[in-house]
Amino acid sequence: MKNKLLSLNIASKTVNLGSHKIALLDKIDLQVHEGEFISLMGPSGSGKSTLLNCIGMLDRFTDGGYTFLGEPVHSMKEKNRSRLYKEYIGFVFQAYHLIDELTVYENIETPLLYKNIKSSERKAMVADMLDRFNIVGKKDLFPMQLSGGQQQLVGIARALIGKPKLILADEPTGNLNSKQSDEIMELFAQLNEEGVTIIQATHSESNAAYGSRIINLLDGKIV
Amino acid sequence: MIRNYFKIAWRNLMKHKVFSLINIIGLTIGISASVVIGLMIFYDTTFDTFHKDSDRIYRVVSDFSDPEESFSNSGVTLALEDAIKEQSNLEIVSGFYIERPSKVENKALNSEFKWPNFVIYTDENYFKIFDYNFLAGDTDHVLTRPNTVILTEQRAANYFPNTAASDIIGKTLVYNDSLQITVTGIVENFKQRTDFVFEEFISKPTLLQTRLRAQVLEKNWNSTNSDSQLFVKINANADLQTIQNTLDDLAKEHTDEDSKKYGEERKFSLQPLADIHFNEAYGIYDWSKGQASTSLLLNLALVALFLLLLGCINFINLNTAQASQRAKEIGIRKTLGSSRQQLIGQFMGETFLLVLISALLSVLLSKWLITVFSDFVPEGLDFELITSPIIIVAFILLLLIVTFLSGFYPALVLSKFNTVSVLKNHLAIGQKKAKLRKFLTVFQFTIAQVFIIATLLVGKQINFLLTKDMGFKTDAIVSVYSPRNERSIDKKERYARALSKIPELKTISIGGVAPASFNVSSSGLSYTNKNKEIHTDIQFLYGDTHYLDLFELQLLAGRNIRNDTIQELVINETSRKLLGFDNPNEAIGQIVQVNNETVPIVGVMSDFYQRSLRSSIKPMALRGDWYRPDYSQFQTLHIAFHNESSEGLKQTLSKIEDAYRSVYTDTEEYRVEFLDENIQKFYNRERKISKLLNWATGLSILISCLGLLGLVIYTTNRRVKEIGVRKVLGASLMEINTLLCKEFLILVAMAFVIAAPIAWYGITRWLQDFAYKTSVSFWVFVVSGAAMILFALLVISFKTLQAANANPVEALRSD
Repeated sequence: MKNKLLSLNIASKTVNLGSHKIALLDKIDLQVHEGEFISLMGPSGSGKSTLLNCIGMLDRFTDGGYTFLGEPVHSMKEKNRSRLYKEYIGFVFQAYHLIDELTVYENIETPLLYKNIKSSERKAMVADMLDRFNIVGKKDLFPMQLSGGQQQLVGIARALIGKPKLILADEPTGNLNSKQSDEIMELFAQLNEEGVTIIQATHSESNAAYGSRIINLLDGKIV
Repeated sequence: MIRNYFKIAWRNLMKHKVFSLINIIGLTIGISASVVIGLMIFYDTTFDTFHKDSDRIYRVVSDFSDPEESFSNSGVTLALEDAIKEQSNLEIVSGFYIERPSKVENKALNSEFKWPNFVIYTDENYFKIFDYNFLAGDTDHVLTRPNTVILTEQRAANYFPNTAASDIIGKTLVYNDSLQITVTGIVENFKQRTDFVFEEFISKPTLLQTRLRAQVLEKNWNSTNSDSQLFVKINANADLQTIQNTLDDLAKEHTDEDSKKYGEERKFSLQPLADIHFNEAYGIYDWSKGQASTSLLLNLALVALFLLLLGCINFINLNTAQASQRAKEIGIRKTLGSSRQQLIGQFMGETFLLVLISALLSVLLSKWLITVFSDFVPEGLDFELITSPIIIVAFILLLLIVTFLSGFYPALVLSKFNTVSVLKNHLAIGQKKAKLRKFLTVFQFTIAQVFIIATLLVGKQINFLLTKDMGFKTDAIVSVYSPRNERSIDKKERYARALSKIPELKTISIGGVAPASFNVSSSGLSYTNKNKEIHTDIQFLYGDTHYLDLFELQLLAGRNIRNDTIQELVINETSRKLLGFDNPNEAIGQIVQVNNETVPIVGVMSDFYQRSLRSSIKPMALRGDWYRPDYSQFQTLHIAFHNESSEGLKQTLSKIEDAYRSVYTDTEEYRVEFLDENIQKFYNRERKISKLLNWATGLSILISCLGLLGLVIYTTNRRVKEIGVRKVLGASLMEINTLLCKEFLILVAMAFVIAAPIAWYGITRWLQDFAYKTSVSFWVFVVSGAAMILFALLVISFKTLQAANANPVEALRSD
């Protein structure tokens, strides 16, 4: 049995909308082990993105327990949570979310800046990543000059540069055509082989099939 | 990291060129104003700070007061020095006497120097208070013997060109044709900023061989001359109050009977060395240099502060307005691991880059501004001053403060964005931030509006001052001054006769100063009217029989004085009333006492303004040149032209000069003044203020309107869709334009409501200095309010019309 990466213990998230209380996530129980490739499925509004954001510590559960690598995230201070996700988590978004003002190279480099890695080391790491994704020739281009698939490639490269244990991907192929989509999914599968844990949210059955486990969500509950 | 920040800052700058330009212009203006004004303040406050123990050096000055007025004199009676010499609180007491010799000759070189300036008679104590660096000469026995002089390096170079300092020692100069004086020392001129501009130091005992012998021997307690200066250096632990008490006791002890009778008081005060450069009541030694004015510096500092604030406000407004455009980047950075502090750091870095660009531009601009504002900038201020360490530190500090003021709030706002909502495009711009922007915009326009109103009203007052009838003829009159050492009347009369042959001239009068001038000569006058003794100060005009006629002064009763030297007075209406005569005729033939002489009043003339309209009309009388030939007050020839236009003026003026040269053959000196120009000079200060206000107004309107433009561009861009929908629904161009302009015009109108009372209060206070003033008219407020709204409307419409004109299909398609 592999190490347990994270576990959710009847974790919920509710928001107040006017006088109503709405449960976005309702008593989620989930264990994720290192090396898993999980696909979250469910219709729009079922809580996939919210769950990813909460796991990624961009958002917080309002109730219940969340343990990441044995550390209790739910009772942690902002600063420590930030340290934790900086170290172990990478994000990939549907809309890529590259910084428009930065070149491909600089986009990939940015997470390293926030980890205070030395310049020479950064250079080597980014060069490796560019090489691996075959985008050396594009390193000085701005995101606007790339196709959607290429942008997502950069997005994944950026997520990987910090050598995270967990990659959270929110509909990573939602804006791509099927060929690009397949390429990206192949890449995820390959990364998973190399030991990276992946949780992806997706609508697509075929994409979900790349995962080792499928979790279905409906109205904030696991079904 | 830093490099990454600057890179992205630079790219953002280039991406939003218009906004960046607006920000840079605003900040550049603010910083430039601060640099120039900062330099001025630094320059003026560093005068005479280099002397050893400068905080312990004081000048003793005299303040006089009587029931009517008070005035000050930078000098003290010659008697005071001896009286305080032994005071234990005073470490050093040094008096000196300023006296220009009429001539200095270096017989060996056969060279002659007329009226050298900055010559004082003093003793070794002077050199103990002020540390001069001796280049040559005996430093142990400084100015102890009579007939010795110490020269500064510069003066020595004049008198003894190309001679080494040590070779000059022992050489002799001849002063005023008879005094043989030996040079015993050469000192270095002060290298730092100083008001102590003296070049020649003659030993004090030498005074006994000059025209001042009698005064020096007499040491009259009741005679005060500004040439007689007294400095003290107090002990390190001396009590100022004790010294003041001693001075008060001395003043009291030596009050004469007359002063007691008329309630006149004299007070000796200690003026700190640092105050000398600022206090106009006592003046400095080089009149041509001009003093610093605390109030002017304060006003300038306020202007700089306002301009700087306006620039910062633009920055805050534009950056918070643009915040949503940066939101995505912020969200991404947060997911990539950036902390809020790091984001704030990044934004502050961007602000600093912008401020830095502005600062570089400011340095260039300031150099130019110093020449534009030469009226305000002290003459000796060199742009090189900017390289002094204090200024550089202050400049860097200023940049940091500006960065903080402009950048901190936007950085807080930007870094606060919630990551999840940003990335989901659920970004709501809070109503609160819009409110802050509105508040800041109102603040900006309030400042601009106050400046506009003030400019108009100050302009109105100046116009009032310059066009107000002075009560005598001011046009087409020139005054030619006789050479300074010309004491006899003969040559003046010869000159007058020569002038009378020039056909273009109407009237010629020999006399003292013109009816309105900076010079005032006055003395006490007493008169007993119905058993009541009236005592007053009366100012004198000196003139011959043509004087009244030339200046077209009106005689209300009696007659003109009969000749140049007869002891008669023609008083003005103000004196007539003061002396208690019910009508002009009643005054004729009455006898008054002037300087212990009895003089009849022979005429009454109408009142006129004797100085600027700041001061009210004082008692005055026209008199002749009574003390001739011992002493003459007639130093000027006033000339009135037939032709009032400037046609042929040049030829006439050269004829006047030719006549002068034909009479005064042995002098180079020639001084001519136009009366109307002199009167304008009364209002130099007002015109300076007016110029300053014009600039402040222009710049504040510019910055505020640029800021407004930025906001309008931003809001209009955000409302493109709304505009499109409205157009599709049938709104006209005007309707849309009105819709877009309305919210901004309300802000400008609010600013007017706030600004009007502030401006009214300020200008009313300023006008209090004037005895005669223009009305603070209602229309000025209306006009300036309208002007501001017009400016704003122009700026707003520039963008809104463009938006309203756009094809709605374009706007709606993009979403």
